[in-house]
Amino acid sequence: MKDSRLEDRDTTMNDTKISARGVQVHYADNHAIKDVDVEIQDKTVTAFIGPSGCGKTTFLRCINRMNDTIDICRVNGTIEIDGEDIYDKRIDPVQLRRKVGMVFQKPNPFPKSIYDNVAYGPKIHGLARNKAELDEIVENALRRGAIWDEVKDRLDAPGTGLSGGQQQRICIARAVATEPEILLMDEPCSALDPIASGQVEELIDELRANYSVVIVTHSMQQAARVSQKTAFFHLGNLVEYGDTDEIFTNPRDKRTESYITGRIG
Amino acid sequence: MSDASAPRSTGASGSLMVLDARTKKRHAAERRFRYYGMGAVGLGVLLLVMLLVSILSNGLGAFRQTVFELEITLTQAQITEAEEALLKTSVYRGIIEENMREALDAAGVGDEVETARAMELLGGDAGSTLRQWAVSQRVTPVPQPDEGVTRTFDFLADGRIDGYFKGRVTMETAELDSRVSPEELQLADTLREAGVLRIELNPGFLTMPDASENQPEAAGLGVAIVGSLYMMLIVLCLALPIGVCASIYLEEFAPKNWFTDLIEVNISNLAAVPSIVYGILGLAIFINFMGLPLSAPIVGGLVLTLMTLPTIIISTRAALKSVPPSIRSAALGVGASNMQTVFHHVLPLAAPGILTGTIIGLAQALGETAPLLLIGMVAFVQDYPDAPPEGLFDPASALPVQVYNWTQRADPAFFERASGAIIVLLVFLAIMNVTAVLLRRRFERRW
Repeated sequence: MKDSRLEDRDTTMNDTKISARGVQVHYADNHAIKDVDVEIQDKTVTAFIGPSGCGKTTFLRCINRMNDTIDICRVNGTIEIDGEDIYDKRIDPVQLRRKVGMVFQKPNPFPKSIYDNVAYGPKIHGLARNKAELDEIVENALRRGAIWDEVKDRLDAPGTGLSGGQQQRICIARAVATEPEILLMDEPCSALDPIASGQVEELIDELRANYSVVIVTHSMQQAARVSQKTAFFHLGNLVEYGDTDEIFTNPRDKRTESYITGRIG
Repeated sequence: MSDASAPRSTGASGSLMVLDARTKKRHAAERRFRYYGMGAVGLGVLLLVMLLVSILSNGLGAFRQTVFELEITLTQAQITEAEEALLKTSVYRGIIEENMREALDAAGVGDEVETARAMELLGGDAGSTLRQWAVSQRVTPVPQPDEGVTRTFDFLADGRIDGYFKGRVTMETAELDSRVSPEELQLADTLREAGVLRIELNPGFLTMPDASENQPEAAGLGVAIVGSLYMMLIVLCLALPIGVCASIYLEEFAPKNWFTDLIEVNISNLAAVPSIVYGILGLAIFINFMGLPLSAPIVGGLVLTLMTLPTIIISTRAALKSVPPSIRSAALGVGASNMQTVFHHVLPLAAPGILTGTIIGLAQALGETAPLLLIGMVAFVQDYPDAPPEGLFDPASALPVQVYNWTQRADPAFFERASGAIIVLLVFLAIMNVTAVLLRRRFERRW
């Protein structure tokens, strides 16, 4: 764990961006998330780790209300973004999801051209007044997705024809194109090879400058490499939440230690 | 001594070169299964070939017809005279008789054939065919000098004569037939050798309306084709939007509760309801209650729409279900609303499935007979319906009903017509199915 980034990581910034209190999630009779409290900070990468089925993804999907699309899912408790309860009746999930972008586990570009993939979000939110502005937004998003140089000559080619790593970076570009403030990433590297994973990790580190990034990962090395804060989930409980180097070098809870050392999970 | 020099043992499980009994049995079972499959496919192909051969051999004759080729010259004076007469078509028949004499003379058989005898071989509709043209050529006032107009006609020969050349009527059956005699058949042979009678392609089969019992040679599918087209138009315009909207609502927006479950079960059940039940429904609602006209394509179209809706809804829902959920998540994730997700992403991906389902539903509706019988489309209709939309309320026939109608008539000439109509129906169905396949390919090629 002698990563140079561990040392110079800036943890002084602690404006709370997302604040969850007493969050409970039920899928029908299955109690998936049990009373989770967490404060996620702005301009920070927060990693959710834990064994399969522990509720990391479920909690992540609560933050942009993607769980609304599942009929049997019930969410209790409050999740506030910038002090506003996102489960308030007055909050429209469509508007929320513009502010909270999401990258999924499996790269899922639309079966359209690369350009249309990235331009779709800005188009439906009316971010560009004309074609030139839209072109600029698309280029900026692709640059931030670290894929511009690879695709700039074939923006009309289908997004589904790219390799897995390229597709995932297109999806990241698509997510940042709508200018979100928070970026949720659900195991973004699980379908990628180590080289592509490395590219995405570098990207996440760059994105930290502008966004609050929440990433779910199964790879503890990845969590250690990219995140400043780590939350460990186990059986629906948030067991431990703190600075990443604290969690990895000096876990307070027995279960965290067992998981990190590979005894459970 | 090293292991390499030891005699090779076949191991505990025996040599791989020898098939054991169990493996043999499994292979035999596989081979048997393959033969069953080949047998089933073979039987299916055999039956299909039998069907096609029987229909084609019976029905292709309907597309060719025995005709008198006559050149007719009409002066305006003749037209005026005929139009002022009481029995107009019989005057025109007289005019044909004059021209027939000239034609017989020109063919060199004028001496041996009496014109009046030859006229008996002419079909019953020749007079009205000529009149139709004559009326369109009429000029008032009569110009001077009255030069007259000339055109070559293919007048249909009597159905029995046509049947004789197609092998349906023989000298023996003519003996027993009140409508034809062996002498007339011999005369027909003479005329055919002289080139006055000949067998030509018969476009009238596709363009002419139905004809009476005694004139099988003049019976055509025109009104039935127009009626079927009108009904398909109505089904397409009503069933496609209603069906697609209903499925999108049920699949994407409706809450999942006992009520939507009930609707779902009922739609599946409706798809299995016998079509004649829809006919009774149409009779009760559209004709008795709403007072729409009998035999009209509008009623037929509405009934067929009801019948096609479940098919379209079921296939559309299946197509929507097959769109991967990751696409929906992707669209929702960038902040698209439910409707944007459906219309921008889900619907385009489901389009090939929806189109295929729609065309299969249409094809099913095109071939449907039973409900149309109940709403009076089985009537004998001689006049073409007007152009839509008014024409949708005019009486018309439909292709499958025309087949049913013709097979019920006594004259065997109508059996040939019915087989011909089946060929036309099958061609339409084939066109629709090919369209479905092509559309599917076309839309799926978008990566």
